[in-house]
Amino acid sequence: MRHLFFVLAVAAAVFAPAPSDAKNTGLIFVSNEKTNNLIVIDPKTYQVVKDIKVSRRPRDMHFNADHSLLYVACGDDDVIDVLDVAKLEVVGKLATGPSPETFALDGKRRRIYVSNEEGSSLSVIDIDQNIIVHEVPTGAEPEGVFISDDGKTLYVTSEVGDLVHMVDAEGGHVTQDVVVGTRPRRFAATPDGKELWVTTELSGEVYIIDRAKFAVMGKIEFRPPGMRKTDVTPVGLAMTKDGKTAYVTLGHAAHVAVVDVATRNVEGYILVGKRSWGITLSRDESKLFVANGFGDDITIIDAKTRKAIISVPVGRIPWGVAIDD
Amino acid sequence: MTSWWRIQVRSARGIVRSSPLDLSTTLNAIVCVCSATMAMAQNSQPAPSQQPRITIGYVEMAGDPRHEPITAYGRLVLKNREHPFPGAQIGLDEAQALTRVLKTDFALERITVKSPAEVAGAVVRARDTNGVHFFIVDAPAEAFKPLAGAIKGRDILVFNATAADDGLRRDLCAAEFVHALPSLAMNMDGLMQYLVSRKWSNLLVLEGPATADAAMVKALESSVKKFGTRIVARQQFKPGTDPREREKNDPALLSAGSRDYDVVFVADSAFDFVRQVPYHTVRARPVVGSIDLEPVAWHWTWDHNGAPQVNTRFEKRTGGRHMEGPDWAAWIAVKMVVQATLRTRSADFEAQRKFILGEGSFDGNKGLAVSVRPWDHQLRQAVLLAAPYAVVASAPVEGFLHKTNDLDTLGDDQPETPCRLDK
Repeated sequence: MRHLFFVLAVAAAVFAPAPSDAKNTGLIFVSNEKTNNLIVIDPKTYQVVKDIKVSRRPRDMHFNADHSLLYVACGDDDVIDVLDVAKLEVVGKLATGPSPETFALDGKRRRIYVSNEEGSSLSVIDIDQNIIVHEVPTGAEPEGVFISDDGKTLYVTSEVGDLVHMVDAEGGHVTQDVVVGTRPRRFAATPDGKELWVTTELSGEVYIIDRAKFAVMGKIEFRPPGMRKTDVTPVGLAMTKDGKTAYVTLGHAAHVAVVDVATRNVEGYILVGKRSWGITLSRDESKLFVANGFGDDITIIDAKTRKAIISVPVGRIPWGVAIDD
Repeated sequence: MTSWWRIQVRSARGIVRSSPLDLSTTLNAIVCVCSATMAMAQNSQPAPSQQPRITIGYVEMAGDPRHEPITAYGRLVLKNREHPFPGAQIGLDEAQALTRVLKTDFALERITVKSPAEVAGAVVRARDTNGVHFFIVDAPAEAFKPLAGAIKGRDILVFNATAADDGLRRDLCAAEFVHALPSLAMNMDGLMQYLVSRKWSNLLVLEGPATADAAMVKALESSVKKFGTRIVARQQFKPGTDPREREKNDPALLSAGSRDYDVVFVADSAFDFVRQVPYHTVRARPVVGSIDLEPVAWHWTWDHNGAPQVNTRFEKRTGGRHMEGPDWAAWIAVKMVVQATLRTRSADFEAQRKFILGEGSFDGNKGLAVSVRPWDHQLRQAVLLAAPYAVVASAPVEGFLHKTNDLDTLGDDQPETPCRLDK
C-alpha cells in the first residue's frame, strides 16, 4: 500500500499538470508542526483564508522560481510535500531521508538539498525523477542548509556536532568543517558573498564565518532587556537584500534582535511571542513575520518602526513563514 | 578504503529504503553512490587507529540489584531497569563527525566488576594500565566512598551516572567526582516547585520500609521546608494483606485521616505497594513520588529542546527501549568529555578537566544549558516531572527564580551545602 502510494506520488510529481497561474498573491503560509497543516493568511486583512492539510510535522518551506509551487518538508512522514500555490492543494510528494527539517532548492539543477534530522545526512533529491540521488553523511542532527549563488557549495549545520560543514554540491561530500558555538541552527549570508552568519542556539550567539577562509571571524551576543544570557536561544535569521540589517529571533527570550551588519551592533529588540524561531521578510522588506512556536501564533512586525503590528493565531507549534510575493 | 565502503553500503540501503520505487531507480541510486564513494575516497583521512584516542571507562557491577527487573506476582515485568550503557554509546555515536575535525577518536571501555568494593580497584587499574582518565561509574552509592579514597588527588574524573544519594554530594564531597544524575534533593525540589505552582501545598506522606524510602522522605522534608508547604500526616506503610495490620497495608485506611491533603506522596523504592495507591485513596487526590508524577532526569516523551532526536537515537540503539534518567546521565558524561576536547582543542586531561569543572556548559536537550556546580560538582540541570505518558512540567518551574542561575533553585545551592570544593 505504501509502495503504491509512493508510485502514485511520483507519478503526480513527474507528470503534474502545469500549475495554474496566480502570481504575487501576497498570501502568507505558516507551517505548523503539531497540527500538520499550513495556515494561509490574507496579506491585507490578516484573516486566515485557508487551512491546508499536509503530511505530518511540516517545517521548512520554499517556493520554486516562479512561485507556482511551494515545497514543504514534513519531518514525521519523511517527505517534502509539493503544493500548488494557485490551487492551494498538495499535488505531489518527494521522498527524503528520516525527518527532513530544512532544505535549499536549486531550480537550475532541479535539485533539493535537505537535512535529515534523524539520519545525520543531507539528501540530494532530483526533483523531476523524485529520487534521492545521493546522501551526504553529516554530523548528528543536521539542520540549516544554505546554498551558494552559483549552486556549487552548500553549508550545513550539525546541531549536536557544533559544526558547520562545507559541502561540494556536485561531488556530494563534505570538504571542510568549522567549529562554532553550541547547537548551530540556521544561516544567512551577506549579499557580497563574504560572510556567512549562523545562529548558535545554546551558546546564545550568532557566529560569523569568513566564507573565503572558512573560519570564524567574529560573533555577536544578545541581551534583551530583563533577560539573562541563558534565556537567549537564537534560531532564525533574516537579512535585508542590501546586506545592511539582520534580524535574529531569540527563541525563549521572546524577542527579535535588529543588528547593523556592518558594525555588528545590536540596534534594538522587538518583543514577540514565546519560542520565536522562523522569521521571514516580505519582498519589499517592509514587514517581518515571526513564528512563535509556543504561542501558536505569528507576530507581524513593521520593519521601519520596529514595532509589532498584530499577532495572528495559527496552528499548533508554528515553525516558519513563507510569503508569495 | 574499506571503512568508506562500509559507510556507503549503509547509505545505499538507506536510499533503497527511503525511496521504494522500482529496480531502475534503485540501480540509479546505487550508481550515484558508487561515484560518491570514489569522491569520498579521495578525501578520506588516515585510518582512525592512527589518531590519538580518548577512552572513557564505563564501570558497572554484575548483578546490580538496581538494574534487575521489577517483577510482580504472576511473572509480570513492571520495569525492565537496564544498565545505562547505551546512553554512553549514543554519546559516542554523536561524536563520530567530530573525530574528523578533532583528529581524535573516542572509545568506551566497559568494565564489569562483582561488587561495589571492586569499583575502586577497577578504576585505578584502568588508569594505571590503559591510561584512562575519564570514567562513568554505574554503581550503588556504597561504591563511592572507597573509590573517593583510592583516586584522591589523581588525574581521574569520575561521572556518577546512577547514584542520586545526597550524602555523596554533601558529606563525601570528592573533587574527582561529577554527579551527572540529579541528586535526590534536586528531584524533590523540582516536584515541590510544581506542587507549589498548582497550590497543592498540603501533603499526605506514605513511607515504605526501605532505607531508600526514608532517604526520599528526608529529602522531601527539606523541600517542604524550603518551599513552605506542609506535611499534614505521615504514615509508614507495610506491604501485605494481613488484616491485623490493615492500618498499615490498606491505602484507603492510610489515607483516611481527618485532615485533608492536596496530594499523596508515596516513597516506595520497591515499586510494589505504590501501584495500589492511585484510585484507592479515600479522597480523590493525585499521587506523586514513586508513581504517577515522578521527578526524573529524562523521559521518553519529552519533546522539547531537540529531545525527540535523542530519544530516537537511543531507541534505535537499544531496539526500542525507552531512554531514562541514568541513560541521560551516561550520555551527557560522554558529551562533556567530547565537548571538553572540542573546546580546549586539546587531548590534555588537565585542560579538559578544568573546562568541564569550570566554564564548560553543555547541551542536555532539556532547556537551560547544563554545567557543573563548583561547590559540590553536581551537574546543574532541569528535572522533568513525568507522568507515565507525558512530561507534565519541567523544573525549574516558571516563576522560581534565582539570582544567578534558575537551575540552582533545585538541590543544594552554594550556601546550603557543607561541601566546599570551590574553596
